[in-house]
Amino acid sequence: MNKSLHVLIMYILVHLGFIFFMYPGDIISSSEEGHWIPILIGCIVHLLVIWTYMKGMSYFPDRNIIQIYSEAGRIASVVFLGPVALYSVMVSIITIRAYSEVISIVFLSNTPLWSMMFFMLLISTYVASKGGEAIFRTGILIAVLFLPVVVFIFFSSFQNVDWRYVFPMSTKDFSFFAKRSFYESFFAFAGGFLFLGFVQPLFKYKSKHVLICAVFFIPFFLFSVYVPLLTFGQATASTFHFPYIVTMDSVHLNWLMFDRLTMFFLLSLVTFILLFVGLVLWMTVSISKRFIPIFKSYQLAALVIVIYSVCLIIPEWEIVQNLFWWNSILRFYVLIAVPISILIFGLRSKGKGARERA
Amino acid sequence: MVPFLQEMKSRLGSNDDFFIQRVFLLDKPVVIMGLSTLIDVVNTKSALLEYIEQSFPSGKTVEEVIKAMSTTPHIEINEAISAITKGKLIIYFEVTKQRVIVDPIMKLLNRSIESPTNENVFQGSMSSFTEDIDTNIGIARKEFNSRRLVVKSYYTGSLQKKRLSLLYDEERVDRKLVNQVIDRIENNQDKEINHIQNLTKVMGFNSMELIPKFNTTELPQEAANSIRKGRVVLFIDRIPFALVLPSLLWDMFALENDKNLPKPIMISLRLLRVVGVLATLIMPGLYVALVSVNPEVLRIELALSIAQSRDGVPYPALIEIIMMLVVLELVIEASIRLPRSIGPTITMVGGIILGQAVVAAQLVSNLLIIILAATTIANSTVVGVQNSLSIRLFKYLIVVLASIYGVLGILGGMVLVSAYLAGLTTFGVSYLYINPAERRRDS
Repeated sequence: MNKSLHVLIMYILVHLGFIFFMYPGDIISSSEEGHWIPILIGCIVHLLVIWTYMKGMSYFPDRNIIQIYSEAGRIASVVFLGPVALYSVMVSIITIRAYSEVISIVFLSNTPLWSMMFFMLLISTYVASKGGEAIFRTGILIAVLFLPVVVFIFFSSFQNVDWRYVFPMSTKDFSFFAKRSFYESFFAFAGGFLFLGFVQPLFKYKSKHVLICAVFFIPFFLFSVYVPLLTFGQATASTFHFPYIVTMDSVHLNWLMFDRLTMFFLLSLVTFILLFVGLVLWMTVSISKRFIPIFKSYQLAALVIVIYSVCLIIPEWEIVQNLFWWNSILRFYVLIAVPISILIFGLRSKGKGARERA
Repeated sequence: MVPFLQEMKSRLGSNDDFFIQRVFLLDKPVVIMGLSTLIDVVNTKSALLEYIEQSFPSGKTVEEVIKAMSTTPHIEINEAISAITKGKLIIYFEVTKQRVIVDPIMKLLNRSIESPTNENVFQGSMSSFTEDIDTNIGIARKEFNSRRLVVKSYYTGSLQKKRLSLLYDEERVDRKLVNQVIDRIENNQDKEINHIQNLTKVMGFNSMELIPKFNTTELPQEAANSIRKGRVVLFIDRIPFALVLPSLLWDMFALENDKNLPKPIMISLRLLRVVGVLATLIMPGLYVALVSVNPEVLRIELALSIAQSRDGVPYPALIEIIMMLVVLELVIEASIRLPRSIGPTITMVGGIILGQAVVAAQLVSNLLIIILAATTIANSTVVGVQNSLSIRLFKYLIVVLASIYGVLGILGGMVLVSAYLAGLTTFGVSYLYINPAERRRDS
């Protein structure tokens, strides 16, 4: 059996879960025209990052990043794993809080937020408690169940598209580099790639496959932004919080007994997110188990209680967005420092190995 | 009298079916003993005499001939007793005081090989396993007649000796798996194995798992196919089915017998079973979610007609569906319990209740009856009754979650179920593997 499959599917699920929510809004508000430029810049950065990361990992077969950093010394593990863990916790908090808000806005307006967050965290915790291998296998099952739904609805969202909105294609306006929302859009890239460093001892995978998959994934990034743009036009689309979701709501299929495809689309994506949070929790707990050798079996529970309490403290959407922004610093640190450091350690260990052999 | 005979008499004499007879084999006095309920005494004696007369011209003495028949040369009293309870015959030579165990002509206490009762086969071989372990092994050998088939037997239990046999394909099987199974059996030889729960304990599995760790099958061709695919098959004496280790999710959907049909038909049949399982899990939950939490998902016409059909139903959808599901479970359980002659009554009465009366009395909605019927039918498409039982339980989890969180609850429940299934392993083999033999080639 091709073990790359587990990793590829996880990659697809995680990124699908991210790109249809905040990402289109961020990109649309960052630029007036020629949106493909910021999208492609993001994708190229993303490809570079995962290439560097996997290149570095390839020097350490059968090892995950926790082991690599621990071997590199105490300072390295504190400097790199600390932020990774902190970032993971932040990501869990933000995703759980944000997505429960989205669900509540879109269709569960009567259910209190606390119970929704509780439910989502409960599922993620259960997934995380099953351990790494089981998480990836769950990914396969979930992909079999929900990926067809997502892909089908994704294609049906082209229903109201007016291709003339594609123009103007070119732009001389690069002001998006100065926009906050452009940098926030990297959330879609930064969240999902770290897990590639944790799969090694569990599954072997070919980095080439992941890269190919990432390249084929670029159209999804493009269309998640362009479908709302092509449906409503820039001027209207920029007024929405979640442009893609609004576009979905405008889709009407005559032969379907359901009126709101959005719900199935959204919820399938939420299952991917639940899986992702489970994965992140598992990663965080693996790091914390390495450094806090006591109460190993309670660490997951403790972490989840902390996350849940923080989620409860956040009173409104504004603060979520602020958190999102503050988290950017950590995000770019993780996006840049972790892959490069792994590559450097990898090159160094290769050099050391070559010297020992000589 | 001689001490051996006396000891045997005092230990077994309280059983009325214990016989001890003196017979003359070519003028030599011998004593034969055994249990008359297990041994066909008359035929055994005549066969014995005939056999000795035939081998007499070779110039051997009676003792030599009989000793050649038995496997153990000299036996202790405990061995003799356990041999007798297993249905063997003991021959005791009065002159030399030697005793041997001989295989007698047994009374026929087993049913013949019949067609399967728990699993129906469609255009396939119709024999099924029986209670007798030797018959089962024999059938399995017929299905998989290769020198690579290995049969290993063990006796476990301290109160009674239960035979346990292990069958596998020498070359394709995962050695690690076999060794682990054998280790478990050998380390627990004093434990009684009367049912699968005992065996689960012996194998060291968690007894609270919802999904059985053994895939049970009555069908020899399925068992043989499992062996061919590198899995281990266990037989226990008096249990009329094969236990396949490790059990896999795919067993729920695939029958070897499907391959007697053209490939496209096989694929569509298997897909149908997958749809059946999904429908069982999702449909009741979807009803609850759409009726009580998220009616806005539906087309307005549909939503109105559903609301109309629930008009006058005095309780929430969750109560409604749980109530009807329980009634349905009762019907299923009752139709298993009842003798075949009374069985149709249940179908009839159940049909009236579930079909018309309960709707006419406005206790539940029309739609619910449709959902229930569809669910029950869908649930039966799964291969293996034991699998359909687990699915039936998962359904309730999803119904409850759906009543709280609507469609989110259903999907969340599906994630929970997926994670549960993904987390299951049997001796390190994941439940989700389609063909475990591939795993070894990989590693």
